[in-house]
Amino acid sequence: MTSLETNLCGVRLKNPLIAASGTFGFGREYDELYDISCWGAISVKGLTNLPRSGNPPHRIAETASGMLNSVGLENPGIDAFIRDELPRLASRGVTVIANVAGSDLDDYREAVRKLSDTETAIIELNISCPNVKEGGAQFGASPRSVGEATSAARRHSSKPLMVKLSPNTADIAVAARAAEDAGADAISLINTITGMAIDVRTRRPVLANVTGGLSGPAIKPVALRMVWQAASAVSIPVVGMGGIADAEDVARFMLAGARAVMIGTANITDPMAGPRILAELEGFARTNGIADINELVGALETS
Amino acid sequence: MKGDFVARVISNARAAELVSDISLELPPEASGIDPRPGQFAHLSVGGLFLRRPISIAGFDGESLRVRMIVRNAGRGSGAIASLEPGESVRMLLPLGSPFPVEDLAERRGKSGGAKKIHLVAGGIGAAPLLFAADFIRALNEVRGGIFSVESFAGFRDEASSFGADEFGRAGACRLVIGGLVTDALEESLGRGAPDAVLACGPEPMLEALQGICSANGIAAYASLEARMGCGVGACLVCSRRARAGGGAGYRRVCRDGPSFDLSEVIFK
Ligand SMILES: Cc1cc2nc3c(=O)[nH]c(=O)nc-3n(C[C@H](O)[C@H](O)[C@H](O)COP(=O)(O)OP(=O)(O)OC[C@H]3O[C@@H](n4cnc5c(N)ncnc54)[C@H](O)[C@@H]3O)c2cc1C
Ligand SMILES: Cc1cc2nc3c(=O)[nH]c(=O)nc-3n(C[C@H](O)[C@H](O)[C@H](O)COP(=O)(O)O)c2cc1C
Ligand code: FES
Repeated sequence: MTSLETNLCGVRLKNPLIAASGTFGFGREYDELYDISCWGAISVKGLTNLPRSGNPPHRIAETASGMLNSVGLENPGIDAFIRDELPRLASRGVTVIANVAGSDLDDYREAVRKLSDTETAIIELNISCPNVKEGGAQFGASPRSVGEATSAARRHSSKPLMVKLSPNTADIAVAARAAEDAGADAISLINTITGMAIDVRTRRPVLANVTGGLSGPAIKPVALRMVWQAASAVSIPVVGMGGIADAEDVARFMLAGARAVMIGTANITDPMAGPRILAELEGFARTNGIADINELVGALETS
Repeated sequence: MKGDFVARVISNARAAELVSDISLELPPEASGIDPRPGQFAHLSVGGLFLRRPISIAGFDGESLRVRMIVRNAGRGSGAIASLEPGESVRMLLPLGSPFPVEDLAERRGKSGGAKKIHLVAGGIGAAPLLFAADFIRALNEVRGGIFSVESFAGFRDEASSFGADEFGRAGACRLVIGGLVTDALEESLGRGAPDAVLACGPEPMLEALQGICSANGIAAYASLEARMGCGVGACLVCSRRARAGGGAGYRRVCRDGPSFDLSEVIFK
């Protein structure tokens, strides 16, 4: 028997697979297809203090081995989440990660304060949404503002705080250390990489927002490199993501130093990705004689 | 119930220029599904990253056969349109909101007798409406002629037209080649307005239809398109503007639609 159990800043996860924010809504839709409590945890759609309607369509473009999105943080707001979604998720036995974004430091303080007395297990501070001015990407771009946003949230939160880093930054190791130094309990990466698509016939961008965030297997090599660099730079747990599509990808990110992984775009292309990758991971561990999945974490040999 | 199944192509016949009429058989695990006209399937096509949404154009619960009518409009739809018998394709179905045919069956018709439903199809938009026509015909058989159906099917030219015979089996069918199908509908209103209109077609057609139906106080429901990701309502990439609950907001075409009350839809 393999143990898939892991621990993320004091929170027990039954396995290292987490549904990535923005690709899983609040779990309602996938719960009609399978028991969503099979996930180690679910990171919900990015939340803001006030409801947001998001960007105009088109919001999606297909790319080589990936996709661009420009949703722009459409969400019902934190209060509605706490009232309408969280109790259901908690009663379903789901470990809930609340992904929050803000436009200024007060926004982040307010958001984490609201979530403090709830059944949320972990707060994921999104300082890396590339699609809206208020999406926090301005905090993710420079190490100083990563630190500012992290410490502002840290002081007002009783929950473990995970800071989601942007790949759209000069040196990911410096950003990771800035989050750690400011009191982050964990970091997650990578968010989408800013990109764009052009329709040659109309001579217009495909996305109404002009630019969007690239995700899926197309970004996996970049994500692996950044997870490896970040994990080498900090001692807090790292959650890795970017293009994970099967159990071997999970193992790759864990070898690079990830304690747990998030699966995003794979849910969009394969609605059964969660239970499929979980079953594959059990098989992978069995065939490779892995007794405890945590053996893989950071076990990459580079010499 | 919905699920992700591997279906096997039984047949693929040419319906019109660039249009294929495909019959696919679902595996026994799919026996619980009960698709309704207006709902769609999300198909995974070899080599392409995202799935492609295609309307369910017919369904037979006994043989578990689903029908799709697909126009080659690009790489994905082209690959689907050229599937050969024996090939397999993965699809998530049934998805989205159906046309409210069963709700309409419960309402009283304006004239007291059979409820008059007009089907208004533009181009490949005929696909879900052929399912509606067949569904209503079957409902009529079971419940004794509760609906009377009239169809208006518009196509760009003769070569791209299909389905007129089948629409004809459900009731009168007005085939419009080249002109505006909405003109034909408007003319017919002199003979008495329908209780409801079900429509699918290009946006300009639907926008014109919205004007006609609101001016004449006719309930109308239309199936809309949007570029999709997940197809189930989780990723929010398919949103389009609509009037809902007093305000105007984004609604998910894959989940809140694709069939909407046409009066709620906001056209640019
Ligand atoms: C609910 C619904 C039902 C549909 N039913 C049918 C049907 O029964 N028969 C049929 O032939 N077509 C149908 N379509 C349209 C069909 O999905 C598109 O023609 C197809 O996605 C185009 O893909 P492509 O790779 O051929 O084109 P490309 O232009 O190469 O596609 C690029 C991207 O844009 C998306 N896209 C392009 N055009 C459309 C469009 N019109 N609607 C949605 N996404 C689009 C594609 O899915 C893909 O992600 C339906 C669309 C929706 C939303
Ligand atoms: C449609 C879509 C919406 C997303 N929304 C959010 C969001 O609200 N908050 C967030 O932190 N990340 C969001 N992301 C980023 C993902 O959580 C993830 O970081 C990224 O997509 C890379 O992982 P993947 O390749 O497995 O999808 C979104 C991604 C997609 C594709
Ligand atoms: S396609 Fe994902 S929400 Fe509609």
